[in-house]
Amino acid sequence: MVKFLDLHIVPKIEDESSCRRMAELLALSGYQAVGLTVPTGLLRDKLKDLRECFQDSGIDVLIRADLTCSRREELLKLLRRFRPAFDIIGVRCTNHNLALVAARDRRVDLIFFDSARRNVWLDDSIANVANAAFELNLSILLERGDRLTITRLMKDVNIALRHDMQMVLSSGGASPFAIRAPVQLMAIAEVLGLTKQEAIDSVSTIPSRIATRNVGRRSGTYVEEGVRTIAEFTEA
Amino acid sequence: MSRRYLQITIRSKSSVTEEQFSQALNASIIRYFGEIGLSRIAPKLIRFDSRKSNAVVAFAKDHTVEMQAALAFISQVGESETVMLPLKTSGTIKGLGKS
Repeated sequence: MVKFLDLHIVPKIEDESSCRRMAELLALSGYQAVGLTVPTGLLRDKLKDLRECFQDSGIDVLIRADLTCSRREELLKLLRRFRPAFDIIGVRCTNHNLALVAARDRRVDLIFFDSARRNVWLDDSIANVANAAFELNLSILLERGDRLTITRLMKDVNIALRHDMQMVLSSGGASPFAIRAPVQLMAIAEVLGLTKQEAIDSVSTIPSRIATRNVGRRSGTYVEEGVRTIAEFTEA
Repeated sequence: MSRRYLQITIRSKSSVTEEQFSQALNASIIRYFGEIGLSRIAPKLIRFDSRKSNAVVAFAKDHTVEMQAALAFISQVGESETVMLPLKTSGTIKGLGKS
């Protein structure tokens, strides 16, 4: 069975009823796991409550941090600090230089572009060096559903495809009404220029691979890329 | 023309009427796929249950993607925030009832 993931949900942590509604709608839509974007300084108790709220609806939770900054040094510092603490790391690219650094860094899982800044978009130089996956948030389309945004997103998809860049489709919503079913995300992906198989991969295979890799990395047995502890050696 | 039937659940801050639903769906299709898109998709409201917030829409079989995308693009009906989630697609109305 295909497993669907939405890696970008921004729950209102203080509003429990909104979180429950979100969880209910995500389960109804057919998602098995979600990436919840939380503030980096969130208390453990709050995090536990949030996790339980979604798990009660039968949804696995991955904790995600969205890093926002404007300088390279700042980003590297944030990555050093927060990479070990979160399942998913996304970087909101606010300028071209930052997008280049974030796309190249192996610690970054996803890069996405700020919908409020229309001058920064994906280009060939970023896609060419990218290790991170490119995330398309549907919330951009819902916020500004003009033809210009759609055309711009189609160009982004075209660039990403040309450079074999991995793509992930997410809701990116902060309200229960911003949630969309996987089949709807796939339909939008196809409208933007992906093939049917690429659309399916962008909401299931690729996010699932990112999640599995990072959960594995955060387990106690992970040493480095390709090296894992399988048993402890003790001298008799 | 071969048709498909889509069962939809509607979640909104306030209740949505049959007219509002039809208008929102047609407006979304026209906005993103144009008048020609609307005539090709040919959506037709078959059933609307405001109490259960469910609807069944028939549309042209070859345009499932456009239909699903148009539904996803609807974020408001009237003044209230709304989400329309597809529950099931079938080739027959009877098929929608089967689990």
